[in-house]
Amino acid sequence: MKGVVFNILADMVEETAGLEVWNDIVEEVSPSKGAYTAAQSYSDEELFALVGAVCEKLQIPREDAIRAFGKFMFGQLASRYPIFVQQQPDLIRFLKSVDSVIHVEVEKLYTSPHLPEFKYSEPAPGKLIMHYHSERKLCFLAEGLIMGAAEHYGSQIELKHPVCLHHGADHCELEIETAI
Amino acid sequence: MSEENNPFKTAYQREKHARREAEQLLEDKSRELYLKNRELEASYEQLKAQQALMLKNEKMATLGTLSAGMAHEVNNPLAFVVSNIKTLQEYIAAYLRLQKLIYKWVDEKKLPAPHIKVLQELAEREDFEYLIEDIPSLLNETADGANRVKEIVTNLRSFSRTQQSDRVETDLTEGIRSTLKLINSRFGENIQLKLDLQPIPAVICNSNEINQVFMNLIINAEQAIDGAGMIAIKCFAEKDQVVVTISDTGAGIPEEIQKDIFTPFFTTKPPGKGTGMGLAVVHGIIEEHGGTISLKSVPGKGTRFEIRLPQESAAATTGGSSSASAVSA
Repeated sequence: MKGVVFNILADMVEETAGLEVWNDIVEEVSPSKGAYTAAQSYSDEELFALVGAVCEKLQIPREDAIRAFGKFMFGQLASRYPIFVQQQPDLIRFLKSVDSVIHVEVEKLYTSPHLPEFKYSEPAPGKLIMHYHSERKLCFLAEGLIMGAAEHYGSQIELKHPVCLHHGADHCELEIETAI
Repeated sequence: MSEENNPFKTAYQREKHARREAEQLLEDKSRELYLKNRELEASYEQLKAQQALMLKNEKMATLGTLSAGMAHEVNNPLAFVVSNIKTLQEYIAAYLRLQKLIYKWVDEKKLPAPHIKVLQELAEREDFEYLIEDIPSLLNETADGANRVKEIVTNLRSFSRTQQSDRVETDLTEGIRSTLKLINSRFGENIQLKLDLQPIPAVICNSNEINQVFMNLIINAEQAIDGAGMIAIKCFAEKDQVVVTISDTGAGIPEEIQKDIFTPFFTTKPPGKGTGMGLAVVHGIIEEHGGTISLKSVPGKGTRFEIRLPQESAAATTGGSSSASAVSA
């Protein structure tokens, strides 16, 4: 996982629980001692350990923590890379650009970013199904990112997750229905 | 000291901000580098293609010079070989007439007996009967061989020709039609011929040579089709060029030999079935006219040759049907 994700996690914990809490977490579980550089890769296990420690410290369920992190991450990424949201006029078009535009740009900059794969289907107007596949199984992070994006675009959405990698499926389906 | 006034926190946030800016700078530079790299890769590929083209042109020019020299050197002795064989055939015919007369006299016993005996012994010893039978075929085969060499030399000269004589404004559509008339009988019922000859401006060229190009390409197309198939000939004007395409639904040319097909003496036909000069001559003629010839071929699907000739004269728009026409040959 790229260092930028760790930095955003640090920002979230510092903002919501304070610098001391993050310092304690880093002290406990981070082999890198919290020194993360955006373009550098760090082990997925280190991120999962940090997230686990955050859940424990703040007494929140893991899935909720990851979802909240995703939502927070969207705001941070949107402020760091505003061009991607500026290019898309609405939520659905933005979500559809994740695989074909954003991930393509990420791959230009980083070697082996191990990005998740998205396929899309639109069974009805205002309804988008994102077929998510990733060895990391961070579908709850994707949920949070989608919620963050919906908030950014001011869209009311209903988000369902009927097919999930965590329940034995080979991919996740994230159904997004926007209010027309 | 309150949290708000903590100088360490302020410094920490300032450093954090500075680091983010540094990371952004790094990303911007990485993106620039990526784009530059892409540009360089594209330039490199272009350069490689140009270099390959230059090498090919150089090779063809060298082959042209070599062919011209060889054709010239072979042509002189060949001229007297061909001429002498012809004379020899006449001389031999005279000798054979003499021999026939002597045999007649021997049969009719018009010569003295001892002379007849000597003649009969000589004829038996030297096997004149066989010689009489074998000489004409030996001479005919020699004449055929010499004519084949002559044909190869003529092709070599066509390939390497540099003179620009006999060039006139020519309607290429007429050239295509007259060439088809000459070779129409080659096409069986299984080969469909499709013509789409758009009106095109006249081109200044040597019409005999250009017709030779059409003939070689159309015959190749016909030979590439095993069984049923189609040959499509199309011409149109594009910018300042006249384009002629000749496509077939034949066997196609394997990718690994596509680069060699314009090389003199390169052939995939069995020995004695082709000289390997057809496409070399085509290439030489088109290059000499300042044009280009290229091909696209998919094995099992067919081949398409594209000729582009400069539109040296746009004064007259000639020939061609304005709509597509299909002719079954």
